[in-house]
Amino acid sequence: MNPVLLDNVCKSFGRLHAVDNLSIQVSVGSVYGFLGPNGAGKTTSIRMIMNIIRPDSGRIEILGDGNIEQVKARIGYMPEERGLYRKMTARKVLAYFGAIKGVNDKELALRVPHWLQRVELADWADKKVEELSRGMHQKLQFAVTVINDPELVILDEPFSGLDPLNQDLIKNIILEMRNEGKTIIFSTHVMHEAEKLCDFILLINKGKLILDDTLDNVRSRQSAHTVSVELEGDTAFVENLPMVTAVKSEGNRLDVSLTDADTQQFLRALMQRARVRAFEVKVPSLHEIFVDLVGASDAEDS
Amino acid sequence: MQRILKIARREYIETAKTKTFIIGLLMTPVIIGAIIFFSSRFSGSRAGPRPPIKVAVTDLSKKLTEDLETSFGNYNKNNNNRQIFLEHFEVQQDSNEIQAQGKDKLRNGEVDYYVVISENILQEPGKINIYTHKPKPTNVDASWTIENLFRKVVENRRYKIEQLDQELLAKLRNVPIERVEVGSTDDQEKVQTQTHEIVNMMVPFFFMYMIFMGMVGTGQQMLGSIIEEKGSRIIEVLLSAVSPFQLMAGKILGLAGIGLTVIALWFAAAYAAVRWQGLNVDVSIELLLYFVVYYILGFLFFSATLTGIGSVCNTIKETQSLMMPVMLIFIVPMIAWPMLIQNPNGTMARVFSFIPPVTPMVMILRLSAGADVWFVEIGASILLLVLAVWAVTWAAAKIFRTGILMYGKKPGLFEILRWLRQS
Repeated sequence: MNPVLLDNVCKSFGRLHAVDNLSIQVSVGSVYGFLGPNGAGKTTSIRMIMNIIRPDSGRIEILGDGNIEQVKARIGYMPEERGLYRKMTARKVLAYFGAIKGVNDKELALRVPHWLQRVELADWADKKVEELSRGMHQKLQFAVTVINDPELVILDEPFSGLDPLNQDLIKNIILEMRNEGKTIIFSTHVMHEAEKLCDFILLINKGKLILDDTLDNVRSRQSAHTVSVELEGDTAFVENLPMVTAVKSEGNRLDVSLTDADTQQFLRALMQRARVRAFEVKVPSLHEIFVDLVGASDAEDS
Repeated sequence: MQRILKIARREYIETAKTKTFIIGLLMTPVIIGAIIFFSSRFSGSRAGPRPPIKVAVTDLSKKLTEDLETSFGNYNKNNNNRQIFLEHFEVQQDSNEIQAQGKDKLRNGEVDYYVVISENILQEPGKINIYTHKPKPTNVDASWTIENLFRKVVENRRYKIEQLDQELLAKLRNVPIERVEVGSTDDQEKVQTQTHEIVNMMVPFFFMYMIFMGMVGTGQQMLGSIIEEKGSRIIEVLLSAVSPFQLMAGKILGLAGIGLTVIALWFAAAYAAVRWQGLNVDVSIELLLYFVVYYILGFLFFSATLTGIGSVCNTIKETQSLMMPVMLIFIVPMIAWPMLIQNPNGTMARVFSFIPPVTPMVMILRLSAGADVWFVEIGASILLLVLAVWAVTWAAAKIFRTGILMYGKKPGLFEILRWLRQS
């Protein structure tokens, strides 16, 4: 079973194709990074998954059910547009949302204090929401999202408004949930967060899926082609090696782009002609991959 | 269903805690009671002294001077708060000139009233002229008093001339009348004073007003609640747990509870007041049952309309322009009620009974006014109302579903119609 399955889903707002023939299959027990530039259609896709807006065409199945209303109790969703009742206390808000998500009173009596503790709000439990700082508000919102112990967690920009310490706190909880076999999908603009968390990357641009793979695959596919080296003596010969396509020099350092050839072969070729002081196979950051792929996809379009 | 109840419960509790609810809905009977209580205590003698009235009189008959002195003297003795000073302005030579002078006194503001008693006052066609200049509205009661005092003086003199026994006259004039309203059993006979009659007249209005209050008063809470959830971006979080329809149903149910609570409290207060005053107000169980049915249907109609309105607006201010036409419809029976009550089976009452938004108010008004409404008419009005509630809820649910996620610009009519066509 795929916790989330989108099959040729389309959604337009007037003349804008917000989501264009999107097909996604999410597998159980993984963390998915749902990435894309602003206006790519991330929030629209997530809202369709949650049946908050309906697709124009295509099929959506969540937790094996075509009727999302049936399985809402098993999902934790943190929307991008989020807020809580300002006049209620943190404890009551948490209990209320737990209750309408179908958690029974006995269970709530245990879970509410547990989660307040977990997001470090135990001392604020009886303060009204309007008295909490933005970061606290955000953490309470996260607790509200997971109070029903969901199998599938969907987080739209979970890290916005959090300081690095609190980002780590939420990240650890997400990883813990993954280890318990839960499926987590989150959208973000913060690439280094995605890099540390994701098993899979879903990259969309202009409503179209342009990348759907494991983070490891994405990296290795992109990485093998650039090497940074430092050599002793004359370096002019490097340009003439058969596997080299381009050389960029920065002081002593050379950034060399290679054809598909093995990096080890390149190293051997270097060692025959000069002393190698440093040799590094460059792993591109998710940031670079993002810029690369989105740029390429934009170029293709125009 | 359980979720709907959970939502309803929160809505009920949170609304019951707001100031608007406590002051606006619960305190109103208390405040009204207090006003009535204190105004009855402080009215009349306790209102404090009022400025004296100055009256100049020219008695052309020259026979009433003493009688007037005694009469006004007695009045002043008994009414410390409002003295009336009488000034004789006697005729020396020319009666026309003296009258012109008297009128000048009026214009100068030296006196408030100038009275001329005609020469032949004690015979038949004689008359009294009371002149005023720019009369003050606060002196209306004084005008009556002065008129009476003069009339009495003349009357008494005329009796004397005709040699009529005044005591005998008073006795003959006295015809006591007692109005008694017979209750449903013999021991419920109660003497009705004028207040009792007014109270009974007010019963239908009270019933209609209760429906109005229960719908419109709690309707405001509905708008507030939706705007809050929209404004603080709670809607989408809620929708992650429940469907839009469950959310709407929960809200309506919770606020219906608020409405019933308020009405129950008002009825209790009214009942206590009626018992305390020992009034005989007959309200049948049947009427109360109709009241509950009509109230609930009316409330559903109104609150569904408001969820639609609330969901397309972002601020309370924005809702006001849309609320205007809605409120106007509900105001109509509030204004027309005296006409409706005089002829509860008339054409106007019948037509209003079949305009769904005002059906509950008008039907309850007619039923409580004791009109013999044909059973079929009651049934038909309820049926029509049920259909109207269904239609409005259907439309409101569609508007609600799309509207609550729209921020920024308020959608136009055409856009809303497009939402209605969507599946």
